Amino acid sequence: MFFLLSVPLVLFSLGVVLARSPVRSALSLVVALFLLAVMFFLLDARMIAALQVIVYAGAIMVLFLFVIMLLNLQHEPVETARPGQRTIAGAFAVVFALVLGAVALRGLPTMPGPGVEVAVTPSFGSVESLAERLFTRHALAFEVTSVLLLGAIVGAVVLARKIPR
Amino acid sequence: MHEVQPAVVVENVTFLWWIPLLPALGVLFHIFLGRRVGKTAVSVVGPSVVAAAFIVSLVAFIRVWLGPPGLVLQQVLWSWLPVGSLDVRFALQVDALSAVMILVVTGVGFLIHLYSVVYMHDDPGYARYFAYLNLFTVAMLVLVMADNLLLLFVGWEGVGLCSYLLIGFWYDNDANASAGKKAFIVNRVGDAAFLVGIFWLFWSFGPGSHTFSFSEIAERGRQLSPAVVTGVTLLLFVGATGKSAQLPLYVWLPDAMAGPTPVSALIHAATMVTAGVYMIARLHALYELAPISLDVVATVGALTAVFAATIGLVQTDIKKVLAYSTISQLGYMFLAVGVGAFSAGIFHLLTHAFFKALLFLGSGSVIHAMGGEQDIRKMGGLRRYLPVTYATFLVGTLAIAGVPGFAGFFSKDMILARAYAEAPMLWGLALVGAGLTAFYMFRLFFLVFLGECRADAHTRAHLHESPRTMTIPLVVLAVLSVVGGYVGLPEFLAWGDRFSAFLAPAVGGSAHAGGHPHLALEVALMGASVFVALAGIAVAYRFYIQAPQTPQQLAARWRRAYQLLWNKYYVDELYAALFVRPIVQLAHVLWRQFDVAVVDGAVNGAGGVVQETGRWLRRWQTGNVQHYALSLLVGTLLLLGYFLGRG
Amino acid sequence: MTTLAFPDVAWLPLLPLMVIGATALLVLVADLFSEGPDYDALGWLGLIGLIVAAVCAALLWNQSGSTLAGTLVLDRYGLFFTILFAVGSGLTLLLSMNYLETTDIRSGDYYTLLLFSTVGMVLMATSVDLIVIFLGLEVMSIAAYALAGIWRTQVRSNEAALKYFILGAFASGFLLLGIALLFGASGETLLPRIGEVAATGTGEQRLLVTIGAALLLVGFGFKVAAAPFHSWAPDVYEGAPTAVTAFMAAGIKAAAFAAFVRVFVDSLGPLAGDWRGALWILAVLTMTVGNVSALVQRNIKRLLAYSSIAHAGYLLVGMVAGGENGNAAVLFYLAVYTFMTVGAFAVVIALGRRGQPHEDLDDWAGVGLRSPFLGFAMTVFMLSLAGVPPLAGFMGKFYLFSAALEAGYVWLTVIAVVNSLVSVYYYVGVLVKMYMAEGGVEAEATSARPYLFAALVATLAGTFLLGLFPTPWFEIARRSVESLI
Repeated sequence: MFFLLSVPLVLFSLGVVLARSPVRSALSLVVALFLLAVMFFLLDARMIAALQVIVYAGAIMVLFLFVIMLLNLQHEPVETARPGQRTIAGAFAVVFALVLGAVALRGLPTMPGPGVEVAVTPSFGSVESLAERLFTRHALAFEVTSVLLLGAIVGAVVLARKIPR
Repeated sequence: MHEVQPAVVVENVTFLWWIPLLPALGVLFHIFLGRRVGKTAVSVVGPSVVAAAFIVSLVAFIRVWLGPPGLVLQQVLWSWLPVGSLDVRFALQVDALSAVMILVVTGVGFLIHLYSVVYMHDDPGYARYFAYLNLFTVAMLVLVMADNLLLLFVGWEGVGLCSYLLIGFWYDNDANASAGKKAFIVNRVGDAAFLVGIFWLFWSFGPGSHTFSFSEIAERGRQLSPAVVTGVTLLLFVGATGKSAQLPLYVWLPDAMAGPTPVSALIHAATMVTAGVYMIARLHALYELAPISLDVVATVGALTAVFAATIGLVQTDIKKVLAYSTISQLGYMFLAVGVGAFSAGIFHLLTHAFFKALLFLGSGSVIHAMGGEQDIRKMGGLRRYLPVTYATFLVGTLAIAGVPGFAGFFSKDMILARAYAEAPMLWGLALVGAGLTAFYMFRLFFLVFLGECRADAHTRAHLHESPRTMTIPLVVLAVLSVVGGYVGLPEFLAWGDRFSAFLAPAVGGSAHAGGHPHLALEVALMGASVFVALAGIAVAYRFYIQAPQTPQQLAARWRRAYQLLWNKYYVDELYAALFVRPIVQLAHVLWRQFDVAVVDGAVNGAGGVVQETGRWLRRWQTGNVQHYALSLLVGTLLLLGYFLGRG
Repeated sequence: MTTLAFPDVAWLPLLPLMVIGATALLVLVADLFSEGPDYDALGWLGLIGLIVAAVCAALLWNQSGSTLAGTLVLDRYGLFFTILFAVGSGLTLLLSMNYLETTDIRSGDYYTLLLFSTVGMVLMATSVDLIVIFLGLEVMSIAAYALAGIWRTQVRSNEAALKYFILGAFASGFLLLGIALLFGASGETLLPRIGEVAATGTGEQRLLVTIGAALLLVGFGFKVAAAPFHSWAPDVYEGAPTAVTAFMAAGIKAAAFAAFVRVFVDSLGPLAGDWRGALWILAVLTMTVGNVSALVQRNIKRLLAYSSIAHAGYLLVGMVAGGENGNAAVLFYLAVYTFMTVGAFAVVIALGRRGQPHEDLDDWAGVGLRSPFLGFAMTVFMLSLAGVPPLAGFMGKFYLFSAALEAGYVWLTVIAVVNSLVSVYYYVGVLVKMYMAEGGVEAEATSARPYLFAALVATLAGTFLLGLFPTPWFEIARRSVESLI
C-alpha cells in the first residue's frame, strides 16, 4: 500500500517542479497533497489527514490557482536562468540527495520499515488527543502563534498599504 | 649573576594623575574650543599644559631621587578588572625608570610644543595639531607611568594612533596619507605579536590572582618554564620592533618623515620610537630569564644599527638621513638592553632624545628657511644665514658622532664597552656603525652648512634665521646635548656613573656581569670608538669639502652597491610583493564575490526610481539572491558532511 | 468527553513579555487615534513600556520558576536578555524618533513592528521549548522583514526586505527541519528532554540528533550572520532604514545568540564534542570574511554590516570556549556590542538629512572637526568596536579571548587577535576621514534632535561604563549563565 501511494506521490511532486504551465504545476501539487493526506490516514493520523485536505488541498491551493489565473500566467515566463545555472542546481540537488541518502542508509536499518504494525492507542490522532496536547503542553506555542499571525498581518498591511503622496 | 634586588619601597601618593591629566585637559580644550578661541589661546594652552606636567614630573623625579633607593611612587586610581582570577588596576607609578622617562617626555615635549607654535603657525589645522600633540603626550605618559602590562598597552596603542594621525597630518598630500597608512599597518603586525604575547603570558600564569603589574610579572616569571618565557619575550620584542622601527619592521619610519618636522622630532625620534626600549627595560626581569631572547634583541639591534647606517650614507633628503640615523641609534639601544646593559640603553635613550630632537628641530629650521626644500644637494653654505641653527646643529652632530665630551659619546661608549664584554662580534658591528654614523652625519652637516650655497637665487634671497621661539628650544637642547652626558661618566672618571646607580633599583644590572672591565681595556675601547668617529668625520671632510667630486666617482665605480643603498635594499618592494599585494587582492576577490553587483547598483542608481527599479529587477533576475541562497546551501551541506563525518 | 486540564499559569515569568506585548497592542491601537505621521507620543509610549518591562525583569532577578507546562522559564539567563532587549529596543526607539522625521515612514507602524519584534526576541530568550523558540524567532523575523522594507518609497529598502525575507524563510526551513529531527529523536521539544536523549541516545537517535544539531546550526548561523550564511547581511543592512539596521545589528543578533547559546548548551551540550569543531571553523571563517571584506567598503552602513559579521565571529569564539567564562563573555560582549553598534548607527543617522542619507564615507570628511561632539562619539564607538582599551569593546574581547585561551584554544585566540587587529584598520579609516580630510557634509546640530542626542549620550555612557568598570557587569553575566547547565 505504501509503495502504491509513494510512487505516484513522487511522480506528481516531480510534476510540480517540471511542468511548464503553472496551472498544471499547481494541479499536480493538489494531487500530491491529496496523496499525502491518504498516507496520513493510513498512519492512523485521521485528524491530520483531514486538515491536510481542508487546509492545503482546499484553501491554500484554491488561493494559488486564483492568483495564477488572475495573473493570467499561461506559460512560464521566458527562461531567465543563466546558462549553467540549471546544471549547478542539478548538481546540488544530487549532492543534497546523496547526503540525505547517506543519512537514511545509516538510520534505516534500525527503524521499523513499512508493513510493520505498530500498536497505537485508540485515541491516537483523534481530535481530542490533539486538542489536549495543544491546550495543555503546547498552550504557550498556541498563544504565541496568535501573536505571530497578528504581527504578520500588521507587517503585511504596512508593506501593502498604498504609498501616501 | 646573582645580585640582591634592592628592596622596593612603595609610597602611595595622590598627585601622579595630574601628569597625564594636564595634557588631557589640553586635548579637550583644543577639540572643543580650539576653533573658537583663536590661535593665541591655543598657542598658550598647548605648550603650557605640557610645561605644567613637566613641573609635576619634576616633583615626582625629585621625590624619587631624594627618597630611599628603590622608592616607587604609586597612585591607584581604581580597580579596573577585579574579577575572578584577575585584578588589574588603573594604577600609575613612578620609579627611577619612569621618572627619567616622564622628564624626557614632558621636558623635550615642552620644547617641541614651543617650537611648534611658530613652525605651525600658518597652518589651517593649528588647533587640531596641538590637540593631537597633547593627546600624544597623554598616551606616552600613560605608557611610561603604567604599573601593569595592560595599561602599558593602552598607552602603546594610544601613541600609535597619534603617530598615525600626525604623520598624515597634511592629508591633502597623497604621499603623506599613504605614509600614515604604512606606519599603521606595519605597527599592526608588531602589535599583533605584542598582544598575543600578553595573552600568552596571562594564560601561562594559570589560575590565581593576577594584577599584571610589573612587579608581579617579575615575581611570577621565575616560575614559568624557560620556553614560555622565551616565547613571550620574543613576541613582545616583535611588538617592539614595530614600534621602535627595528629590522624587519623598520620600513614605516622613513616614510613617517612626511609629517610636520616637530612631530618627527617628538614622536619619531625622542619619545614614541623608544617605547620598545622602555618596554624591555621595564620587563628586564622577564628578559633576564630568557637569554635566547636577549641574544635576539642584541643581534637585531646591532644589525639594524649597521643596516640603517648604510642606507643613511646615500640619502639626499635631510629628514630621511635623520630618520635612518634614528633607526640606527635605536639599534644601539636595543643592543644595549640585549646585552643586559639596561641602564646604558636608557642612558642612550636620554641623550639621543636630546641630540636627535635637536637635529630634527634644526633641520626644521633649515627647511623653514629654505621654503620647504628638503634636498641637501640644493643646500650648502647655510652657516652664514642661519648662525644659531648652524651652531646648535654642529653640537648635535658632534654628539651623535660620538666625539668625546658630548653626550652621545658617553652613552654610546657605555653600550660599546658592555657589548665588548658580552658579545665581541656585535661590538665589532656596532663599531662599524659608529664610524658610518660619524661619516653620514658630517656629510649631512657639510652639505647643508658649509661649502657653496647651491640654492637658486629666489630661495637664497629669502634665507633667514628662524625666530626666537624656534631657536630657544634649539639652544636649550644643544646645552642638554652636551651636559646630558655627564650624568653617566665612565666609572673611572670624576663622579662616575651616577645615572646607572640611580636607575639600578628599577632596572637592575648596574653591577656588570664580570666586574668592571679592566681600566686599560676600557680606555682602549674608548680610544677605538673615538678613532672610528674621527675617521668617519675625516672621510666626510675629504669627500664633501676637499674633493667634492669623489662621491660621484665612487657611486659610478660601485654602481650596483650604490643603487642597492639608494633604493634602501629594495625592502619596500619586497614587502609589497610578498605581503601587501596578496592581501589587497584577497580583499578585492572577496569584495567582488559578494559585493560588486550591489555596490555598483547603489552607486550608479542615482537616476530615478523607475530606472533603478529596472536595474534592480534585472539584478534580481541575474540571480543575486539565488547566489546567496546557494552559498547558504553549500554551507549547510558542508556542515552536514562535517557532522556526519564525525557522528 | 474528556475534560481539559489547562495548565496552571504562573504569571510572574510572563510579566515582562506581557508588558511588551501589551505595549505593542497599545501603540497599535493608539496609532489609530493619533494625528500626523510623526507623533512623538507613540514613541514615548513604546519607550515607557520597554522601561517598565526592563524594570520588571530587574525586580524578578532573584526569582525563578517556570510556567505553562514548563515551556517558559523564569531564570537569570532569560532576564538578562530581556533587559538587554528592552535596552536595545529602547535605544533604537530613541534614535528612531528623530530619524523617522527625515523619512516617509509612518511612526505608528514602525513602533508597533519594533515592539512585536521585541516580543519575539524575549520569547526566544525565555523559552525552553523548541517550538516556542521557533515561533519567537518567526515573530521577531517577520516584524524585522517588514521593518526592513518599511520605507516604501526607497527601492533599496524594498529590495532589502525581499532579500531578507526570501533568505530568512530558506534558513527557517533548515531550522524547522532540525527541530523536527530532534523531535523525531526524542519525542519532545523541551530542551532538557532533548538533552537527555543527546546524552544517552544511541543508534538512529544519536544520528537524528546530530543531523538536527547541524541544521539548527545553519538556522541560527543565518540569524547571527555567521559565514557562510552571512551573505544577506550587507545588502539588508545597507538597504534597510538606518534605525532598523541598528536594531538588526544589536537586537536581532543578540536574540539569535540568546537562543543559540541556550539550545546548544542546554540541550545539545552532550554533543559539544561534535559541534565545537564546526563552530571553530565557522568562527574563523566569519571573523576573517567579515574583517577582510570590510577593508574595501566605501559605504558606512555596509562597513558596519561587515563589522557586525566579524563581531558574530568573535562571539562564536566565546561559544567555542564554552564553560561559565566563555558563555558569560558572550553575554557581556552582546551587551557591549549593543551599546557601541547602536551608538555608531546613531552617529550615522545624525549625519543624514531628509533625502540625503550621507552614507558614503566621503561624506564623513572633516565631520570630526566641524561637529566635535559627533566626531568624539564616533571616535569612541569606532575605537571600542576595534577593541582599543580602555573602552567597552576591549573588555568584551578581553573576556572572550581569555575564555578561549583558558579553554585551550590557542590558535583560535591567535586568529581572533589578529583579526581584531586587522579590523582596527577600517575603523580608524573612518576616523581618518573624519579628522583628516575635508569636503564632507555639514551635520545638523545635535541640539535640534533631542532624542538622537539622548541616544548618543546613553550609548556613550554605556561604552565607557562597561569599559572602565566592567567587573560588576561581567559578574551579572556570569550569574546569568549559571542557570544554564
